[in-house]
Amino acid sequence: MFTILLVDDERLVRRSLEKTLLRAGFDVITAENCVTGLAAYRTARDEENSIDLAVLDLNIPNFEGQPAPHAGLELLSKLREQEPNLKVIVLTAYDEVNKAKDAVQRGATAYFVKGRESGLVELIQQLISK
Amino acid sequence: MNAHMPYNRQTSLLYTAARVAKNITSILDPDELLQQTVDIICDEFGFYYAGVFLVDASGQWTVLRAGRGEPGRQMIAEGHKLAIGGNSMIGAAVQQQQARIALDVGEEAVFFKNPHLPYTRSEMALPLVVYGEAIGALTVQSTEEAAFTQDDIAALQAMADQLAIAIHNANLHRKNQALLRQAERRSRLLRAANQVGKQVTSILDLDELLPTMVNTICEAYGFYYAGIFLVDDSGEWAVLRAGYGKAGEAMLAEKHRLKIGGTSMIGAAIALGEARIALDVGEERVHFKNPHLPHTRSEMALPLIIGNKVLGAVTVQSVEERAFTQDDITTLQTMVDHLAVAIQNAYNIQALKEAHAALLRTKVYEALTTATTEAIHWIGNKALPITTSVARIQEDVQRGEVDFESLQEDLEMIAESARLIMEVKEQLIGQAREQQPRPCMLTDIVQSAAIQRKIPSEMLEIETEVNTPLGLADSTQLTRAIGNLLQNALEADATHIRVHVHPAAEKDYVAVDIHDDGKGIPPEVQEKVWTTFYSDKGPDHHGLGLTAALHIVTQLQGQLSLESTPGEGTTLYLLLPVAQHLAAEDISTGARYILLLDDDDTWASFFGSTIVSAGKVLTHRTQGTQIDPQADLILVDEFQYATPIEEILQALQESGVAHKTIILTTSLNVERMTTYMKHGVKDVLLKPYTLAEISRVARS
Repeated sequence: MFTILLVDDERLVRRSLEKTLLRAGFDVITAENCVTGLAAYRTARDEENSIDLAVLDLNIPNFEGQPAPHAGLELLSKLREQEPNLKVIVLTAYDEVNKAKDAVQRGATAYFVKGRESGLVELIQQLISK
Repeated sequence: MNAHMPYNRQTSLLYTAARVAKNITSILDPDELLQQTVDIICDEFGFYYAGVFLVDASGQWTVLRAGRGEPGRQMIAEGHKLAIGGNSMIGAAVQQQQARIALDVGEEAVFFKNPHLPYTRSEMALPLVVYGEAIGALTVQSTEEAAFTQDDIAALQAMADQLAIAIHNANLHRKNQALLRQAERRSRLLRAANQVGKQVTSILDLDELLPTMVNTICEAYGFYYAGIFLVDDSGEWAVLRAGYGKAGEAMLAEKHRLKIGGTSMIGAAIALGEARIALDVGEERVHFKNPHLPHTRSEMALPLIIGNKVLGAVTVQSVEERAFTQDDITTLQTMVDHLAVAIQNAYNIQALKEAHAALLRTKVYEALTTATTEAIHWIGNKALPITTSVARIQEDVQRGEVDFESLQEDLEMIAESARLIMEVKEQLIGQAREQQPRPCMLTDIVQSAAIQRKIPSEMLEIETEVNTPLGLADSTQLTRAIGNLLQNALEADATHIRVHVHPAAEKDYVAVDIHDDGKGIPPEVQEKVWTTFYSDKGPDHHGLGLTAALHIVTQLQGQLSLESTPGEGTTLYLLLPVAQHLAAEDISTGARYILLLDDDDTWASFFGSTIVSAGKVLTHRTQGTQIDPQADLILVDEFQYATPIEEILQALQESGVAHKTIILTTSLNVERMTTYMKHGVKDVLLKPYTLAEISRVARS
């Protein structure tokens, strides 16, 4: 079974997406900010329950605990330092080309806009099967 | 020909000498003195001609200043003058300071054959000497040969001596008059310079300052015209920005401008950065012949210079030739220098305003962009749980396998997301709703808002200064705005909120200061808190509360600002206009016995004293739900700490008196009003804060 790390500070978003992914057959580990997200990744790795893919909200509290518009990219960079081949989907409510480009340059595998979730499960399955 | 007989001559001479002496003492105008003297001499002695020559400024010539009859007038008009020491009798008499007599002019070598005086046969030239200096000479001519006797010579020389003294005195008088006029003018110019100095420091609007300047210059100096030109943006033209009188108005209407470096004095003054003065404009090459100013004979163009930059120039024009004195030039240049500073200041202020406007446009754009971005994030995040939950439910339904536990969780998520979205809608509706301002007791609004937001009474302290006037506000909107402010204090972990209601330092305003001891706002966040959808309190907050409060207060012509220190707390400063012109009202009519269910607060005290002073009976119950069914009218405050409204509604129904009950509220709300009406109450009304409003409630 594949394990997904889901990081989003919106409680309802986190729970709803978690439910959707669980129903799709994934194991889901959730976190609400950069600090807990990185910690969850390390814990899973230490327990040999490695993360196969991370879904990161772009706009989450940063490593200082402050709300930051691009903190998801900071976490992306940290995760890629841990595992350069980690597949990461950046989740955002705002589809801005420059941010998507920045995310890809930092190693994001995909950039997904909230409100178009119907394709998210398929996208994850597609990325994991590669 | 001499008309008098010899025996009368001595008498005539004395008589004439007396008349001349009288003239000498009574006439101070030199021109009049000289003309009258020559006329008297000719009339009394019957001489053919008499004239007075005065030495000119060069000391080389004697110039005819008065002459008898038409020959005299013509010679003066021709500028008749004779060289001192030349071959004329006058020239010789002045040089030698001695009388010259030619009894037969044909025999006098120095006689000048004057075509204007062809019949002269005898001539006498008497020097006018004062304090040893010859200032001119008197000529007396006769058509008779050997006309002058020794008595004539002696008498006329005596007259000439008196005349010389009189001329000297008249000249002194004229100089004194000129000095007096000069002193007066100088005093006037100093006053004008002082006035200009004040104007340039107090008037920053060029459209006001420049016309004032040209008026001051023309009125103080008595000049024909003054105008101010400023260099345009292209740097090629000097554009008239202010002009004196009708001529100025006409030229401003024509958008009069002059080429810099062109042939005009203004153009030259600006191009060269130096003053140009034409004492007779006809002689000035660069003079612009202006049809609006046909009488100009002197013109001065003074450049307006700051550092190395020429801002424009001032033109000053006079109808007199050689009109400008050194005093004029000095004082005008000083004024113009001050004016240049004022113009530069006005330019700087304009540049500052433009920079500020540009900054404001940028800030507005940034704020709008930020607000839009935040809104998109917010809506996206709130919508996602709904769409994903709906997708799961639809999937389950299609499969026919409904997990009720999961379904319930999905529905709860949908409900919560929807609630947050609806909260935003409410805040936005509040801003969009039309305001209905009325006099409001701000202390009561604060208390109602606090109760509505469930702020514990022990946490809230309200201090109201005596003589605090009512504020002008829509109480429904203001309750929402103040509620948002109190809510923020609560969410900042405040343990105490102190509200100070008092007359504002600003005239006709009332102030509400709300201080909390919460965690405060970091400086970097303080700039953002007014931004729509901005919140640093986590995803469950929509970030509209403060923005909505600001919007409402601004609509009420009020002001809202904050000061905050992290770790110490935040103070919000609210200013609202004072409600003016509160009319007196008769409140003796309507219900006689009133039961009031309310806290023991400021409004209840005001209401109670008003009702009782109107001769009505009031029972004020501050605790519990004990209802006296005998009351004509029962008034219930919707927001009170002592007893929840729900309990009171139930008691009213049970007592069967709901039909004569009015719920009073600071904030009308459709849903709550519907609930109360369903309990059978008579009405739900805005809480009355004036005699007129109390009267209406009592008569309901």
